[in-house]
Amino acid sequence: MSDVQKIELDILGQVCPACLLVVLREMNTHRQRIKNGETQLIIKTDHRDTTRTIPESARKMGYDVKVRNLETYYEITIGKNE
Amino acid sequence: MNNPAGGKVGGKKTANALKEEVQRLRDENVRYARYIREKTNQLLEVMGTLPLRPEEFDDRELLTLDPIGIIAGSFEQVFEYLNETISDLSQARDELQAIFDATGVGISIIDQDFTIVKCNEKQRELLVDKQLDNVCGSYCYEVYCLKNGPGLDCPAVDTFATGRPVVVSEVRKKDKYFQLVTTPYAKDANGQVTRVIEVALDITARKKAEEEEQRQRGYYLAEKSKLASVLQSLSEGLLVTDSRNRIISVNGAALQILDLSQKQVQELRINELFAECPAEAMTIFDVDTPQACQNVEIPHRYQDRELLLSVNSVPLFDGDNNLIGRVFTFRDITEEKHRQEVLHRTEKLAAVGQLSAGIAHELNTPLGSILGYARLLLKNNQLSTQQKDRLHVIAEQAKKSSEIIQGLLKFARTTEPTGQPVSVCDATAVIGETLKILTAEFESRGIEIRTDFIPDADATIDEKKLEQILLNILLNSIQALQKGGSILVTTQTSGNRLQLTITDTGPGIPPEILPRIFDPFFTTKEVGEGTGLGLSICSGIINEYDGSIDVFSEPGKGASFTITLPMEQTE
Repeated sequence: MSDVQKIELDILGQVCPACLLVVLREMNTHRQRIKNGETQLIIKTDHRDTTRTIPESARKMGYDVKVRNLETYYEITIGKNE
Repeated sequence: MNNPAGGKVGGKKTANALKEEVQRLRDENVRYARYIREKTNQLLEVMGTLPLRPEEFDDRELLTLDPIGIIAGSFEQVFEYLNETISDLSQARDELQAIFDATGVGISIIDQDFTIVKCNEKQRELLVDKQLDNVCGSYCYEVYCLKNGPGLDCPAVDTFATGRPVVVSEVRKKDKYFQLVTTPYAKDANGQVTRVIEVALDITARKKAEEEEQRQRGYYLAEKSKLASVLQSLSEGLLVTDSRNRIISVNGAALQILDLSQKQVQELRINELFAECPAEAMTIFDVDTPQACQNVEIPHRYQDRELLLSVNSVPLFDGDNNLIGRVFTFRDITEEKHRQEVLHRTEKLAAVGQLSAGIAHELNTPLGSILGYARLLLKNNQLSTQQKDRLHVIAEQAKKSSEIIQGLLKFARTTEPTGQPVSVCDATAVIGETLKILTAEFESRGIEIRTDFIPDADATIDEKKLEQILLNILLNSIQALQKGGSILVTTQTSGNRLQLTITDTGPGIPPEILPRIFDPFFTTKEVGEGTGLGLSICSGIINEYDGSIDVFSEPGKGASFTITLPMEQTE
């Protein structure tokens, strides 16, 4: 789906719980669009704990979550997979 | 802040009061901020993450960020998702229950004590007494099997013991047949099966169908055996052929008539078996001939036997009305045909006999006059030698004619019912007497006489008549032999009949005249040499005594006459 809005959150250098709160706030803001599959949140983080806390929370809300380990950071995608 | 009434002191006081107020408010702020921080940390812990570090956000930043609001929003989403999930689960449970109840097999969940935990509608319908409202908590063996404990054939017992699924292909419960499958459903911490699912498939209809099929098979086999017995007991021969004319079935009578073994017959095609069938009757073997063929006469030659068979044939159809072969029935009509021929001959003889009697009677008187006057004239001495010679010829021919007439009269008499008492004679003695009469003839021609007699050969016939018959046949043999050769005379019994056979080593009788030799006036001798009445008279006499005469001859191999006569007087 090429018309999916992708919102990038660069939280490199931030650690928990600040990362989580930032991401939760964005999820609250875009909840309806994420649910409808119109928006995907793409989070860049280098804090390992975040790759556990964010997906756990997002899944409890019923969102699809994908975590990719890139070279220098992690990429967490929240929202319906293409 | 000015206080016009209080002046400076009042202003100091106010300033102090304000300071105190500010400090109090600051302290309160710190308390509130701590409270918010603590609650935020509590909520963050619920979210599974670390507490806030003081250096991360100061109080102002904390309030600006509004973590409680964020987490509340997140909880709202979590609850929303939970509610959706609960709703989906509830729907799934209802669907599952509907499937559980609507499925065509009975399903029960049974625990280790054999109590029913759950059972679907089909199971209730199949095995639960209609008066029972709720079976959950009852023992399955009581409700389903009407027993006091689990039976030996219970698959649940095995599944609890082994932890493996068990299939019982047929079990009877409450007059119904089931196929049962038990599978482990729940296990305890030790891996011991605590609950099993038992699936019961009602196979009563299939079982009934199988029983019905079994019954029909039994009926079919009984009918088949009955039919086989009927076919075997038939006196007529029966053969069944397939679409390629191969013999696929044969009964005992057929083998007996044909004098063949089952193996011999089944190696042949029907047209090979009846190879002597006349060309015009060959359609009887055509598998595509849809109509029945009746009474087709077919000669059957096998080794040295020659039979005449009367064959019927009907087409054989399968269930779809396709021609799949033919059924042949046949009987041996050799003897019947022979009797018919004899009867026919007898009738012919009777007709000729009547005619002959009339003619003979009419001719006898004028011939007597001719002979009488010829003899009278011969006594006249005035006649010339030539005239006398001619008169001799007249007398001679008239005498010969008279003899023919006598023969005819004898013949006519034999074909009439005599009504005289039947006498019994010693055939051996009569044969001896007859041979004695002809001894001089045999010797002069160098004919050897051989005999083979049985003792006590009593034949039911007048001895003079038997002598006449024997003389007739022996004279024919002498005539056939001319010089040399031999004549064999034998007696033997066949049932309660005596057979006298006279066989010569002469040239035999050509096959084309063989059927006519008993006909009246049939002769192979020169005109004037024989009357052609000898054998027909013999045949007539023999018939009169309820006997028969048969001839067998092959060209170059002599001829054999067999006279069959009753040995005892028949009522």
